[in-house]
Amino acid sequence: MNLSRDQLTTFLILAISALFFQNITYAQTTISGQVTEKNGSPLEGVNVYLEGTYDGITSDAQGRFEFSTSETGVQTLIASYLSYESFMMAADVSQMNDLVIRLREDVNSLDTVVISAGTLEASDNSKVSVLKPLDVVTTASALGDFVGALQTLPGTTTVAEDGRLFVRGGDAAETQIFIDGIRVFTPYTPTTNNAPTRGRYSPFLFDGITFSTGGYSAEYGQALSSVLLLNTIDEPDQDKTDIAIMTVGGGVGNTRKWEKSSLSFNANYINLAPYLAVFPDRNDWEKPFETFAGESVFRRKFDNSILKVYAAFDNSNFELTQEDNNLPDGLYFKLKNSNFYTNASYSGELDKNWQYHAGASYTHARNDVCIQGDEIENMENSAHLKMKLRKRFSNRVKLSFGAEQFLTDFTETYNNSFVSERYGFNNGISAAFTELDLVFSRKFAMKLGARGEHSQLFDQFTLSPRASVAYKTGKNSQLSLAYGDFYQQPMNDILKFSSDLKAQKTQHYILNYQYVADNRILRAEAYRKEYSNLVTFQGEFPGFDGDYMNNGDGYAQGFDLFWRDNKSVRNVDYWLSYSYLDTERLYRNYPTAATPSFANTHNLNTVVKWWIEDWKSQIGFSHTYSSGRTYTNPNMPGFLQEKTKAYNSLSVNWAYLISQQKILYLSVNNVLGFKNINGYQYASTPDMNGNFNRRALRPAADQFFFVGFFWTISEDGTDNQLDNL
Amino acid sequence: MKKVLAILVILISANSFAQSKYQQGMTKAFELWQSEKPWDAANLFERIAQVETENWLPPFYVAQINVFNSFSEKDKEKMVAQMKKARDFLNDASALTENNPEILVLEAQLLTAWVVYDGQQYGMKYSQKIADLYRQAFELAPDNPRVVLGKAQWDIGTAKWFKQPTDVYCDDIKRAIELFETEEPAGEFYPRGGGEYAHTVLKENCES
Repeated sequence: MNLSRDQLTTFLILAISALFFQNITYAQTTISGQVTEKNGSPLEGVNVYLEGTYDGITSDAQGRFEFSTSETGVQTLIASYLSYESFMMAADVSQMNDLVIRLREDVNSLDTVVISAGTLEASDNSKVSVLKPLDVVTTASALGDFVGALQTLPGTTTVAEDGRLFVRGGDAAETQIFIDGIRVFTPYTPTTNNAPTRGRYSPFLFDGITFSTGGYSAEYGQALSSVLLLNTIDEPDQDKTDIAIMTVGGGVGNTRKWEKSSLSFNANYINLAPYLAVFPDRNDWEKPFETFAGESVFRRKFDNSILKVYAAFDNSNFELTQEDNNLPDGLYFKLKNSNFYTNASYSGELDKNWQYHAGASYTHARNDVCIQGDEIENMENSAHLKMKLRKRFSNRVKLSFGAEQFLTDFTETYNNSFVSERYGFNNGISAAFTELDLVFSRKFAMKLGARGEHSQLFDQFTLSPRASVAYKTGKNSQLSLAYGDFYQQPMNDILKFSSDLKAQKTQHYILNYQYVADNRILRAEAYRKEYSNLVTFQGEFPGFDGDYMNNGDGYAQGFDLFWRDNKSVRNVDYWLSYSYLDTERLYRNYPTAATPSFANTHNLNTVVKWWIEDWKSQIGFSHTYSSGRTYTNPNMPGFLQEKTKAYNSLSVNWAYLISQQKILYLSVNNVLGFKNINGYQYASTPDMNGNFNRRALRPAADQFFFVGFFWTISEDGTDNQLDNL
Repeated sequence: MKKVLAILVILISANSFAQSKYQQGMTKAFELWQSEKPWDAANLFERIAQVETENWLPPFYVAQINVFNSFSEKDKEKMVAQMKKARDFLNDASALTENNPEILVLEAQLLTAWVVYDGQQYGMKYSQKIADLYRQAFELAPDNPRVVLGKAQWDIGTAKWFKQPTDVYCDDIKRAIELFETEEPAGEFYPRGGGEYAHTVLKENCES
């Protein structure tokens, strides 16, 4: 080719300008359209753009958008907006004209319906939460015990001398406790007859508590009435040391934090001797209650997973003589208990849509008891292994399934001057469960589940279906319905004598209404529970010749109301909970169906917390009214035919913030000194007039005083504590 | 040929004077923000963030706009949605930079927004964490005016609550104001400014 100089010049100019201007002159395509909601109303502020490019715009008040791009061929258009599911469309840019994009509401957003039948939560999820984690330590009657705080919620019965959770007509063994999804076999510290027990675990290690009074997920089994789920904190805030000095003992805690891991431990020593020296109670203590307990949590984060190891041990002992109608010298009782529990869980994401959770726990518990010269020693070794997988198909469809194994080895020896016996059992339960979560819209959601269990001891297989639905009836209100079948093996006190039995069963039907708005919650729930296959036996106590059968049955029905409001009165947060319960059952050694002594008709709890800014103090009140409980009067025909007078207790506490790091805490339980009666003990033989004499079963002490000083030392704490402190 | 070369020189230099797409985009986003269209700006920052996947600034600003606006948001549900969005983008940004005081300050502000949302619930939970974040930021950058201001503001709040003197912290705010005046941003489009706000804080807390 032979080009002239001019031709060459022209060619070069053209070529270069073509190169340079190509993105202006070459294929500018306009993309336009409108974004609306499902119902057609326009959405303003939607970010509409081509994926991986700078090209895009924000939709205007009419939902319209228009922008140009130099991209060609097939591209992905994205429309994204807060609280809506992102829209994606792959097409040739030349076809992206006059598009009509409808965005679907994001069902993960806050105003989506939540299945709430049966569930009471204490967590940061303000949507379903009725308690806040801090309530455990600031509720007057709770004394820092999470079980005590839960007893102010509806669905529970006040059984003051016991302290465990009694839910909707069920006995205490019908409630199971889980830490990070793994079962706790021995959750309560042992205690004597007329003093309430406490949960073993420190409330500060948990940041989520879910208390279900029925209709719970297929993931949980071996609980006829209720489950209590405690989740340990994933990541503590900072390094710190906690010191507690109390009238009943002391404690220290320490948390260390590294980049990926953290370790917390705390230790407590409680000794009631000094307190009892000042305020003697109705028991004649040879050795007052003493316990030493320690807990530790280690957490480590990996890229997509977290490992938690929790361990707790405690050693308790006491020795006393209690008044007894049939024993002129009283009943001698001595107990030594040691308990070790450890739990490890590992959970994470496999890829974006698969999650797994694996865990195991081991419990070793030992009791040495001496009652009137009879020596009883028992030892329990239990383990729980669990694996769960969860697949998220979309925001609207999630499936989870898993398997677990429970193992219990229990042995007991019984020695007195006449007999020496050794007995026990070895129990294994295998279970598998699956659950499907369906969210049809922000208004309507459903959960379907099933659980199968096989008991190695009974060689019995049970299948429990579970189902719940929730429907949003208004902006702030919703209705939920739940149904479920629940099986539970008889407890150790029965199994150690007989294993020729079947699992006990309940069916739950629950209807729940919830209204949540602006720091106010109203919750109303009606339920019906049907019991079958309850264990029955002959004799005063379970024994070798008890003639054990699954002949019992029963029902419980009623309704619960809960109202919490921290809005109406400035600096005041209060809640009211009321439960109505109607229940009868034939079980254990009952001659006929009757209302058990741990169930009563009316329970009303009022909790008030008042923050007084000028005093830097929170003053709390907590009142419990609980209608009378049944007892048998042998002077009259019938069984559990009479009722005690109602129980009343008003507790007051005062928490004073000396500084951000130091808190002084005072509390008085039953400040008005109500003389409560938990029941009556009748003489086993009548007197000369043919009358059975009785003795009122009173609490060990009518009132309880508590003073504690809590001091947290942290690095920025000193920083925050101003120079004059 | 001279003509050709002349044209080439012009074209090439024009090209190098022209801003990159990133610079154009960021400049435009700041303009939108200044003309009180924060959500248009946030959307643009978000578009830039999904292209510039190695740069912490675009997601940082998405988070910052969401945090700042959540303080004044009346609709509680929207407020939570914004705070959650801010958390996502703050996580994205902090994965791209290390030991960055701006990130720590923004995280402290995000947690403060939660405390504003529900003081009873999040006050106890986050107050220590917030103080800790400001402390870390202060260790990294004791002369960063936003760090100095944020920390002083938080300390004043705490001191007032415990009815303790606030004079020390007023001096800190004054120091922050001086630092704002002489601040040189660490790089192009890096966080700057806040001086006017510092004057407001001083007026509200120290001159009454």
